[in-house]
Amino acid sequence: MKQAFIIIAACFITLLFNSAAFSEKIDLDLDFEIEEVTKKPYSINADIEVKETIKFFDSDALLFKQKYLNTKKDNTFWQTDFDFTIEGQYQWNTITLYGRFNSLIYYNEDVDWESERKVEEAYITFQPSVSWAVDAGKKVHKWGKGYAFSPSAFFSRPKNIDDPDATLEGYYSLSTDYIKSMEGILQTIAVTPVFMPVNRDINHEIGPKNELIWGGKIYFFAFDTDIDFMFLISDNMDNRIGMDFSKNLSPSFEIHGDAALVQDYHQYIIDEYGNTSEQEYTAFNLLLGLRYLSSQDTTYILEYYRNGQGYSGQEYENYLAFIERGYDQYLNTSSKAAISKSKTYAAYYNQQAVMRDYLYLKVSQKDPFDILYFVPAITFIYNLDDKSVSITPQVTYSPLTNLTLDLKTGFLLRKSKTEYGEKINNAKILLSIKYYF
Amino acid sequence: MKKTIMTAIFALFIIMMFSPITVYALDGNEILKQVDGNLNPESFEMYRKLINIEPDGTKKEFVMFSVKKGKEKIASVFLSPASEKGRSTLRIGENMWLYIPNVGKPLRITSLQSVTGGVFNNSDIMRVDYSAEYNCEKIETTDKGYTLYLKAKLKNVAYENVTMFLDSEKLLPHKIECYAASGMLIKNLYFKDIKDFGNGVVRPAVIETDSPLYKGYKSYIVFAKVKTKELADEIFSLNYMNKIDGLR
Repeated sequence: MKQAFIIIAACFITLLFNSAAFSEKIDLDLDFEIEEVTKKPYSINADIEVKETIKFFDSDALLFKQKYLNTKKDNTFWQTDFDFTIEGQYQWNTITLYGRFNSLIYYNEDVDWESERKVEEAYITFQPSVSWAVDAGKKVHKWGKGYAFSPSAFFSRPKNIDDPDATLEGYYSLSTDYIKSMEGILQTIAVTPVFMPVNRDINHEIGPKNELIWGGKIYFFAFDTDIDFMFLISDNMDNRIGMDFSKNLSPSFEIHGDAALVQDYHQYIIDEYGNTSEQEYTAFNLLLGLRYLSSQDTTYILEYYRNGQGYSGQEYENYLAFIERGYDQYLNTSSKAAISKSKTYAAYYNQQAVMRDYLYLKVSQKDPFDILYFVPAITFIYNLDDKSVSITPQVTYSPLTNLTLDLKTGFLLRKSKTEYGEKINNAKILLSIKYYF
Repeated sequence: MKKTIMTAIFALFIIMMFSPITVYALDGNEILKQVDGNLNPESFEMYRKLINIEPDGTKKEFVMFSVKKGKEKIASVFLSPASEKGRSTLRIGENMWLYIPNVGKPLRITSLQSVTGGVFNNSDIMRVDYSAEYNCEKIETTDKGYTLYLKAKLKNVAYENVTMFLDSEKLLPHKIECYAASGMLIKNLYFKDIKDFGNGVVRPAVIETDSPLYKGYKSYIVFAKVKTKELADEIFSLNYMNKIDGLR
């Protein structure tokens, strides 16, 4: 799909350097009516994104060998995405209906043209007063204060570390919000119970057994600090308790943290010979972070993440060693048995941030060189267990109202038998044009 | 004759002696509270259009619906453009949060950042009462009105010092200069187009800003439908941030 890349790149460059030709020029008459003052009971918004991703595979990487064996000749992977999202809202007295739907059509050499459609959120809100609200339907419950990692987000899908701001798909749930404000040190208290049914029709991706998962969050705003306590109770999942906090120490300095205990967590382990085992323990997950804005408008987000559910350096190295053993077996005997066995553990081991200790640093600069709405950024993810590193430079530019251009690259500092050293690709480029309407 | 001259000198002496006291007798902090009261009713809603203009003449516009209660609580939601719609901001004192629908949870932000880009920062967009943040250290009277020299009460404010130029009759600002702790001028705010919004709300409908840090850039805030409204305290909480649009 080099042609698609060339077309998208040409559009990108045209919009980048000729935005003035399309932009709204000054015609400043400040005595006007603001048309948005008139409220309609409904609203509809949409965005369309055209994206080209180029991944440069590393044929020596063990996860590449696990996925493709030696069947893939071209080490450059091209994918073209057409991503369309539409959201709508209708309000009638105390009732609000909200829905967000996503459709993705993509092409790559592995699957040819494919499409996916999903309802990301669809729920009804009943709000009899400002203090009370009841939500029923498919909804995202994003808990926790972490930017890249959220150990206390008990009722949501995991974030994509490469794009922590990306929209997530919700789960079907019934939840309530009760807010109470008061004078004094404790200024606000909010209680949010959540009930999440699991059966073969809804939320079945959580687990195979029918049950009602329930939990809640209680929020306090006191001493200029946000504090949450949360829990999750389940017959089949691991019960969890957690807390988070965030506070501004100065106008330019914020600190935050999440902590969670996961009771009776089951970890599935495979050793370098393919022997499998299970261990059960109470996992402790922790996130400590800060956000700092310098006088030059540079924002630093730094987070330390302790993943108590993760694998140790030795455990992960054993998994990679087993893949290597399986690949050698395939080359010597054409037997795929071992490599296939390793793939059954990919669901546990081939996740993001699968090990125990990480440092995340994102540095972004607002409007450098006096270019408004232009934000270059660079992100480092450092695996403290095996010392491997992922580096992601990125530039985002919004030259026109409702238009965003994004150029993102990614590099993995390579070291044998490490998490980022054995990923399928060692570099990637992502070019995106997104328009909102 | 001598007696008359002596009486005149004595009278002049008395006038000279007491005239500075007359100036310093003005309570700057009390005037500042009256300015706040004139700019903002106790509890109200409003629409604002923010316009950022670049040196080449291109502009970007944002429309926000905001509610404010008391001295230091303000919440807003973006109504346009489409790329920003649904984003909401909340400020309680020096605490500020931004809710982005995609992200799905409120994030703490700082007064020096800007959710819109351009010359206005969060402190300008989520302005609380000046008297909540500043003490008046000095007041001067000029033929154009009063000049208030304000100093931040706390460290957690965007501008360490503010000089406010007031119309002494209307007790409304026509210009505000914002300074960093170093004494550097960060920006000028010009208050224009005094308008009667009804129910006794008479205030400038336009705030223009420029900054030596953003040469050639200008930003405007245009106010519309400023009207008093009873607001519950619970509206100014994190859990309510995604529901602010429902107040319209």
